Amino acid sequence: MLVWIENTSLALWVSTSLWAYPFLLSIHITGLAIIVGIFAIRDFHLVGVVSGLSVSNFLELKRLAYCGFMINSLSGIMLFSSQASYLATNLPFLLKIFFIGSGMILASQIHKTIEEKKGHAGLKKLAILSLICWFGAIVAGRLIAYIF
Amino acid sequence: MLKTLTEEIIASQLSQWVQATYWLWPVLEILHFFGLTLLMGGLILVDLRMMGFFSAISLQGTKKLLPVVILGFFLNLVTGILFLYGDPSRYAINIGFQIKMILVFLAGCNAAVYHLKIEAYFLHLDSSTKTPMIIRLIGFTSISLWTGVLLLGRLIPYVGTG
Repeated sequence: MLVWIENTSLALWVSTSLWAYPFLLSIHITGLAIIVGIFAIRDFHLVGVVSGLSVSNFLELKRLAYCGFMINSLSGIMLFSSQASYLATNLPFLLKIFFIGSGMILASQIHKTIEEKKGHAGLKKLAILSLICWFGAIVAGRLIAYIF
Repeated sequence: MLKTLTEEIIASQLSQWVQATYWLWPVLEILHFFGLTLLMGGLILVDLRMMGFFSAISLQGTKKLLPVVILGFFLNLVTGILFLYGDPSRYAINIGFQIKMILVFLAGCNAAVYHLKIEAYFLHLDSSTKTPMIIRLIGFTSISLWTGVLLLGRLIPYVGTG
């Protein structure tokens, strides 16, 4: 199955075209800046490090963050397709996917709690976990190039 | 001048330390990514607010995000200088790096114009009024230049000497 992915025309285009891979990496880092940038500011706000915003601002900002997530899902799938069998067993890659999945679940939980205006008792804890997930995803993502 | 500077960097102890410490490069890359997240994350909010989006964010509130942006910038300045010391002859002639530095300089000029000429006026605007053209333009210039910096930075390993 993984080898089949690598032999699809999409994967072959990504791996053989001179500019496809760097182009996708550039898109991927822009998406990263949007998602992690917005969620990090949200979490810093919830932890109390950043002031000047109100929690309701993030209900509007989350849409932009989700756009970034869509951009990176697409560019990520394309990047993955060209090295599917290598990445499928690469520990940093698997950790990265785990962190991103957890970060997205936490995000929906955080936004739901803000929407329900139930008081924000548990939000600080969720925000700390979310920060660990997103910065953990960056660490793991970078290490894909170093740990085989 | 660039050549002498490059030679001086190559001969420095710092350069030898960065090259000899095998775990340093990935650590610097990770910190550089953290820095770009803080810089861009803060600026997305500030610049888009200046452009008239996310009008629920108060204008005064954007100023309080600037420390995050500045922290990200200095984190990346320090890690960036260490990259330069780790591989000076590669960066000095890399067209991606050269254009990236020009864009950082232009973004700095744009920020200086904002700080010196616009900020005081901007922060005293009523949050509900439509933001004036000049402020939209400064916000647009800022986010465009920094996005360019991001893209060119990622392309450094893939472009040549130009």
